[in-house]
Amino acid sequence: MALGDLEREVMTQLWDAREPLTVRQVHERLSRDRDLAYTTVMTVLDRLAKKGVVTQEKTDRAYRYGPAQTREEMTAALMLDALSATPDRDAALAHFVGQLSPAALAAAIEAAKNSS
Amino acid sequence: MTALLLGAFGLTLSLVVPGVLAGARWADRAPVAAVVLWQAVTLAAVLSALGVVLAAPEELVRAAGSGRPVATAALVGALVIAAVIVIRLLVSLADVSRRSRARRSRHRTLVDLLDRAEQHPELDVEGLRVLDGAVPFAYCLPGRSPRVVLSGGALRVLGPDEVAAVLAHEQAHLRHRHDLVMESFTAFYRAVPRPLRRRTPLDCVHLLLEMVADDAARRRCGAAPLHAALQRLTHAVAGGAAGGGDDDRDRRLDRLGPVDVRSAGITVAVLMAAAAILVLPTVILVVPWLDRAFEAWPL
Repeated sequence: MALGDLEREVMTQLWDAREPLTVRQVHERLSRDRDLAYTTVMTVLDRLAKKGVVTQEKTDRAYRYGPAQTREEMTAALMLDALSATPDRDAALAHFVGQLSPAALAAAIEAAKNSS
Repeated sequence: MTALLLGAFGLTLSLVVPGVLAGARWADRAPVAAVVLWQAVTLAAVLSALGVVLAAPEELVRAAGSGRPVATAALVGALVIAAVIVIRLLVSLADVSRRSRARRSRHRTLVDLLDRAEQHPELDVEGLRVLDGAVPFAYCLPGRSPRVVLSGGALRVLGPDEVAAVLAHEQAHLRHRHDLVMESFTAFYRAVPRPLRRRTPLDCVHLLLEMVADDAARRRCGAAPLHAALQRLTHAVAGGAAGGGDDDRDRRLDRLGPVDVRSAGITVAVLMAAAAILVLPTVILVVPWLDRAFEAWPL
């Protein structure tokens, strides 16, 4: 299994959990339907913490890991990064229908909310 | 004389030609050639600036009949300024490509973590990522490990044919490395001193590359689904209030009728013009000047 997929699954577990989880808890949840090394889970959590998407806190001798943002917050931030028009059009992304001004983006979010 | 003519040519290329090209609707019928023409115009403007910097001191020194020390100083000064121009362009290019790589890499990390593509097994596409969210949008992340990103909202408003057309459009951007073309124009834009910067080339080339990707998608999926997808996505996003993009969108929609508007004749003519802009000044102005200048080479 690719490391990227595993990172995604670990994130999903952290997002679904109500509270920060220990490595052991994440490992238990992920190994319900497969064979997975404890150290692998530890490595993945460490990588995610380095990327800044997971926060690490120490409580009663054990590290607990939680998502830095909720799934919705992170999705919204990503969408903002993708769609907001920047003064210097940098060439980082290519859009199907162009970028939006903050006002147009807000209107789009509103329109999508109403239609769904 | 050479310096004056090259200067006039360079100023025409940087001040007059972009305005004319920006208004040219024939570009819509030969977008690939039009991108090449923009590249030729930009490169020729840079080369003319270098030509002026090198030729002007030499010609002044010769006209004044100054001695060898003055001629040597003039030549060294000219070479230094020319080197500064070239280095500034290269630094700008390195800077733009470093920044967009960093932004893409961060964006890719997050998009991979948030991906919901497994909920859409019917979309079996390499590098596809689906994001939660009702706002319909589609974009791609170019680079060595590219991604095409669709929102759940886009999948909701688009039919399967339209999704295929959007994916074909984005994959054309990725396959033809349109990001590198945009990066070079961005780098040039940022290297030009602020009061002289013009967004025109950047915006025009951007639109032309969209048309190139539209043509690729049309070849694979036909014009109708692409036309519909473009309409649906722009309409869903702010109901047509998408800022300055309206004209651009209309120009793209106009090209996506039942008849392919592309013209081989225009393509050939534009490519020849691009070659002429690069070659003719060199042959007519620069080569005769080099001939004279090397006879009096002071170093």
